[in-house]
Amino acid sequence: MDTPSPSTAPPPAVTVENLTKVFKSGFTKKPLLAVRQLSFTVGAGEVYGLIGPNGCGKSTTMKVMLGLLKATQGRATIFGRDSEEVASRQDVGFLPENPYFYKHLSGRETLNFYGKLCGLRGSELKGRTEAMLELTGLTHAAERRIGGYSKGMLQRVGLAQALIHEPRLLILDEPTAGVDPVGSRRIRDLILELKERGITIVVTSHLLEQMQEVCDRVGIMSNGRMVSEGKLEDLISVENQTELILQDASPELLARIHALVQESGGKSQLISEGKPRTTLEKLFLQSTTQTGDGE
Amino acid sequence: MANDFAPQSLMSSAPSRSAYSSFSPGRIWTMATHTVTQLIRMRILVFMGIISMVIVIAAFAFPAVSPEQQLKLLKDWTFGALKIFFIIIAIAATGLLLPRDLEDRTLYTTLSKPVPRYEYLIGKLLGVMLLLGGGLLLMDLVFSLMLYLKQSLIISSQIAALEKEQAATPENIAFIKDLNSRFGLTYSLHSAVWAIFLQASVVAAVSLLISCFASSTLFTILVGIAFVIAGHGQSLLREWFLDKMSGFWQKSLSGAIAVFCPDLTLFDLAEPAIRGEVIPLGVLTEVSGIALLYIVGYTSVAYLFFVEKEL
Amino acid sequence: MKNKILGVLLLVALGVVKVPLEDRVADSLKAAQLRDAPLALSLRESVSQMAFAAALGGLRSLVASITYLRAYVAFEDRDWGRVDSLMTLTTRMQPREAMYWDEAAWHMAYNAATSTQQREDLRAAIRNKEFREYVLRGLTIVQEGLVYNPNNPKLLVREAEIYRDRLKDPRPAAEAFLLAAKNGAKPFYERMGAYELVKLGEPRDMQQAYEILKRHYDKGFRYPSVLRDLDILERKLNIPAAQRVGHPLPPTPPPHRK
Ligand SMILES: Nc1ncnc2c1ncn2[C@@H]1O[C@H](COP(=O)(O)OP(=O)(O)OP(=O)(O)O)[C@@H](O)[C@H]1O
Ligand SMILES: [Mg+2]
Repeated sequence: MDTPSPSTAPPPAVTVENLTKVFKSGFTKKPLLAVRQLSFTVGAGEVYGLIGPNGCGKSTTMKVMLGLLKATQGRATIFGRDSEEVASRQDVGFLPENPYFYKHLSGRETLNFYGKLCGLRGSELKGRTEAMLELTGLTHAAERRIGGYSKGMLQRVGLAQALIHEPRLLILDEPTAGVDPVGSRRIRDLILELKERGITIVVTSHLLEQMQEVCDRVGIMSNGRMVSEGKLEDLISVENQTELILQDASPELLARIHALVQESGGKSQLISEGKPRTTLEKLFLQSTTQTGDGE
Repeated sequence: MANDFAPQSLMSSAPSRSAYSSFSPGRIWTMATHTVTQLIRMRILVFMGIISMVIVIAAFAFPAVSPEQQLKLLKDWTFGALKIFFIIIAIAATGLLLPRDLEDRTLYTTLSKPVPRYEYLIGKLLGVMLLLGGGLLLMDLVFSLMLYLKQSLIISSQIAALEKEQAATPENIAFIKDLNSRFGLTYSLHSAVWAIFLQASVVAAVSLLISCFASSTLFTILVGIAFVIAGHGQSLLREWFLDKMSGFWQKSLSGAIAVFCPDLTLFDLAEPAIRGEVIPLGVLTEVSGIALLYIVGYTSVAYLFFVEKEL
Repeated sequence: MKNKILGVLLLVALGVVKVPLEDRVADSLKAAQLRDAPLALSLRESVSQMAFAAALGGLRSLVASITYLRAYVAFEDRDWGRVDSLMTLTTRMQPREAMYWDEAAWHMAYNAATSTQQREDLRAAIRNKEFREYVLRGLTIVQEGLVYNPNNPKLLVREAEIYRDRLKDPRPAAEAFLLAAKNGAKPFYERMGAYELVKLGEPRDMQQAYEILKRHYDKGFRYPSVLRDLDILERKLNIPAAQRVGHPLPPTPPPHRK
């Protein structure tokens, strides 16, 4: 359709404009507002995180971006093309949440199938398939039928098929769901590597620490609305609070600190006090030696 | 639709693959062969084994009846089995495809690739048709072989009987050969197999349309069967099931059936072919033409519904 | 939503377009003798729902073959009433299948009739009455078959044989034999017709029989029975001696000699 001329600035990788999605389902046909007036833009090369509680409309937004659902109002574009156009999908790789594949095919056949759908043929197809198996650590299981794959392996096949045609945009819906911490860390590293190569990524996850590590910008959704959006540093630093971490502090010292805070008066006050903990993730990493399925 | 953005420096490598086109036989073929693989791995070929067994049993199970009847029984049972099983395959295979993809959410990954939804549908239907065609070809071979064998056996035993009665005149031998070739293997029998292929393909197209409304395999299969029954005996169906309905309802219902149901009796060429009737090429062409109309028509309607489908 | 409405419209349009096309194809099929008359609804009472549904679904030949095989079992049990009803079902299922009519008639006029005739427990008068009834039943069947399959040689031959062998009625037998021969039965049956004509003895019939047998004689069919009947005819019709070819059967045919 409207081909942007090379001279103009490249269009943003993703735009979502005033997106509203209403589901009418069930016997009552009661409308359900899943996404309301949502707008955001993801620039080329950015890693954008969508976070929010369960059912806030993250996956719905992604499906609209892929033309799997039709927007009730508003629209989404991918590199300047309306997401309802099939052609917009040639530059996108999508990993749905809880991905599932044809269980009668082996891992390799599955990647071949998706590669062919993307127009890959011959030695290029073969090369890409093997590279993706390698990348996601599935080479050892490539001959096995998908029906016997574990959840984490399915997630990795999902990632491999999303990447098979070297898309410029990756849309990942909870890529680390069901993946063990080692695998999850690998996926995080992969995202960072792809980011380095300039691939745009839109990702959702409930693992906020990881999101923190990879995202340039995040949007926080709640009840289908964008409640907060911006650069990560801006969002997470709390300007009016200060954290002290003490080692071997005697009860007397603590009492004196309490007293000092009291004395200083004004608005300052002690909000919390306790023993810091190592993160569960770190603990798990230190104490487990198994590295993913098989291998 | 050639529109490659200027390759960005950020991209790791410039892929050499062809630009996206809105209709790609390659993608359809990929979908179709994938569908065939999927169905074959669902052990749908077991059906072929069953049909072959029916053919072999029918060929040798009834030695008591007259030779002509033996040939007829072999043909009756073969065509009965072909028709039943291939219609079941057409409905079940189609019913297993789209609703399964929806239930398993495999549709998400497929349709998030640059695959237009019509290509997805055409690919699936083509896959089912390839399976039906391949299966029928195989069964036709088995059947032809058995029939030819049986026919040769009968001819030689009849000639032997004639010789015993000292009546093996050239006249009588020619008559026996002529009779057996009329009731044995003829081109019309292959035409009748082709008609079964057409019929099963039409049923598959109708099932595909149904599965675009339905979201479950069971529903697709049940409604598919209802369509097959309605498509076979429209007038009889009305009298059989709807005796008690008033004239108005009967009329509107029969009108609806005539409009929405393909007339599947047009493809019932097995009976005349078994009887030894010749199926002229012109008639076969017409029958193939109407099958094509049904398939294209129902698939187009299926697309219009599928394109609206929320996944 | 727009596409769905379009879809419904297309479906209806397709339905409206296809009906006349379907009629056209149906007519072509009928013209090529490829379309059978719809199933008689009266059959619904005589077969199971399942079989009837299968028959409706285009599996008539399969259902017919099953009732036929059941009739065959009944025949082996000599249960003639059952043979008759099952064969009737079979022929109703596939009325265009002459083989079924032929066999149904044969079961009645030959098997059933002969078997009652041999029953020692019945009085002779009753045996003869039942024999005749079965033969006539066979005749009715074959004649009904001829309504669905006009001039079918196989059925005509069966009819002729019933008249000749079971009812000893040469005229209809001759007519049926000759009609069968005209419609593709073996040439042998034309001679059969001629033999029946000879039995009638009317001059016109004899003339016709003579023409037939002479023609066959000239074609090389010089079997003893041809020669015997030609001899009779030549004498009755006063054919000039020079043209006579027939001669009576030798008084005692020497056995085992070519
Ligand atoms: N196909 C559908 N039909 C009806 N309602 C739906 C459909 N898909 C999603 N919804 C509803 O829309 C809302 C948003 O769903 P969505 O899957 O987008 O949430 P999410 O943010 O991805 O949640 P999670 O974190 O659990 O994955 C939910 O209330 C869900 O029930
Ligand atoms: Mg989700």
